[in-house]
Amino acid sequence: MKENKKELSAREQIKQQEFQKEAVPHINALYNYALHLTMNPDDAEDLVQETYLKAYKFFDSFERGTNCKAWLFKILKNNYINKFRKNAREPGKVDYDLIKDFYHTIKDVQSDTTEAESDFFHSLLHEEVYQALQSLPEEFREVIQLCDMEGFTYEEIANMVESPIGTVRSRLYRGRKLLRAKLEEYARKHGYNTDTEE
Amino acid sequence: MNCNKATVLMSAAIDGELTEKEAEELSGHLADCPECRSEFQEAKNTKIIIRERIVRVKAPRNLVESIVRLTNVTG
Ligand SMILES: [Zn+2]
Repeated sequence: MKENKKELSAREQIKQQEFQKEAVPHINALYNYALHLTMNPDDAEDLVQETYLKAYKFFDSFERGTNCKAWLFKILKNNYINKFRKNAREPGKVDYDLIKDFYHTIKDVQSDTTEAESDFFHSLLHEEVYQALQSLPEEFREVIQLCDMEGFTYEEIANMVESPIGTVRSRLYRGRKLLRAKLEEYARKHGYNTDTEE
Repeated sequence: MNCNKATVLMSAAIDGELTEKEAEELSGHLADCPECRSEFQEAKNTKIIIRERIVRVKAPRNLVESIVRLTNVTG
């Protein structure tokens, strides 16, 4: 059945309103995720822009009542894979200088929130934490970012990385173990004794 | 439950992703094992440090504006 123009635009308006309410508030989170993936502000901007174009176009396929942020992250991730995967850095190779430089470019006015108590973590610098995270193999880094920085549930992460929940769970466990070892290494450099069995 | 099994469960426990049964088993072990209690605290701190020490930036203004514009096509 044919719809007239007036009806279409009314529908479009509802879609716009809903999109602005559901999707637009996640721009910052998506931009940060894109930055960590691309390590390049221009690429990150393009990626977010394209993600929103796609999301708007396919907004009808967004399952109402589910987590819109998770849906957007998945679109961004797929976009990233299609666009950049060919030149993605090789696993295991970590360019520490690049990470450090990048970190300083994105680091703007720093507002320190509550810090962990006076354990060895306290001695760590922001860039060390970032380096430690970035030095992890991608499969581990990714789930840690999605879980700890973005607060997604295992189910949401499983859907995003297209793996079973059990895999997400074990990657988190293994990734955190590696991360802890890195962080302790940095802490020792600052003269902290991280050996708990004294 | 032994310490090894407890350590494996800690990661998902921190995220609130254990099954009820696992959560019960873990807390039973933690009640009896001071080493695992301190290990659990350290594991929690690792999550906190990632959440709090990694800098979050704001998306550039022009990007936000262009996305808002995208959804503002009138008519
Ligand atoms: Zn124990």
